[in-house]
Amino acid sequence: MAKIIGGIGTSHVPTIGVAYDKGKQDDPAWAPLFKGYKPVADWLAEKKPDALVFFYNDHATTFFFDLYPTFALGIGAQFEIADEGAGKRPLPPMRGNVDLSIHIAESLVNDEFDITTFQDRPIDHGCASPLPLLWPHAPDWPGVIVPIAINVLQFPIPTAKRCYKLGQALRRAIESYPEDLKVVVVGTGGLSHQVHGERAGFNNEEWDMEFLDLFVKNPEELTKLRHADYIRRGGAESVEQIMWLAMRGALEGEIRELHRNYYLATTTAMTVTLYEPA
Amino acid sequence: MNPQLAGLEDLEGTYVFDLHTSNRAMKLNRFLWKMIGTEARAHFSKDPENAMTEAGLSDTEKDLVRRQDWIGLIRAGASFFVLEKFARVAQRTNLEVYAMMRGETFDEFMATRRVPECR
Repeated sequence: MAKIIGGIGTSHVPTIGVAYDKGKQDDPAWAPLFKGYKPVADWLAEKKPDALVFFYNDHATTFFFDLYPTFALGIGAQFEIADEGAGKRPLPPMRGNVDLSIHIAESLVNDEFDITTFQDRPIDHGCASPLPLLWPHAPDWPGVIVPIAINVLQFPIPTAKRCYKLGQALRRAIESYPEDLKVVVVGTGGLSHQVHGERAGFNNEEWDMEFLDLFVKNPEELTKLRHADYIRRGGAESVEQIMWLAMRGALEGEIRELHRNYYLATTTAMTVTLYEPA
Repeated sequence: MNPQLAGLEDLEGTYVFDLHTSNRAMKLNRFLWKMIGTEARAHFSKDPENAMTEAGLSDTEKDLVRRQDWIGLIRAGASFFVLEKFARVAQRTNLEVYAMMRGETFDEFMATRRVPECR
């Protein structure tokens, strides 16, 4: 039986990918970010999970607004990393496990979570920005990803509570998979930031800290917040933090925070956290 | 009114991208979105006027694109996430786009940041 062994919360800022590709790991302005991922990368190297399930959002790359899925699960042996306007990144395609993805799709749908599936489409920085900071990619990625995209771009988007429930349903899917796989669930996005309008550049460190504390101790409180609450407190695009709640739902119950790195350098409070079931 | 969004009416400088906006600005957003394709980028670079006409942009939208009026494009209904694809083609970083949306110079904006060298 497959098992969830931990959870990771991480920002997916595209600039992280740009800085990574330019080799800025030791640049004094970037080192606090890259160093902050090291304990998580070490934990992954030690625990050797077979799969990372990514709750992430597409940024109108894999899908366009003419047909924008609320929840969509990627199925394939490989996922190309998308060209988002600046050309291809020097990274190998991400790896997938077709049988595992299909099992999760079947389990979710039979569990009344009628998820869309996609195949043979490239995936953008929603997954690809943090992945190389978590896993090495040479000669190839050490495991597979299961990408689950959540619409946080075009309202109506799913409620915080619905995301949490998706995580709970994912756990049932994982735990009903017959192979003995170790799985880590990743929730991406945030923390506070706004990237559009005159309010661009908004941050709220106090709220970010409150969110991180509630996330461990009282996630139910976070599932009760409306999108407007997230937008007002953390900036418009910080509403994507509802994807962390999907990860939290998959880790339902008490959890321990093993690591936290918070780096608010320019516009997004770049954060990485690591959790294990208590 | 979407109850999840109620109460944001007085939040300045924020333009919620919902289905009303998306439906209204579909052609503009599709045009910006297509910049993830090498052919669309090459076509726009070579012949921007025809590329915009073929995409069905209005005169107002064409003017906003020509002037790279980022806040104007947001107000016209562009989603930031397709706008940033056009920013790559226009050789602008996101930090530069944020500054312009705020009506600040790049240096003014970066002076408000904690680690301005982080770019």
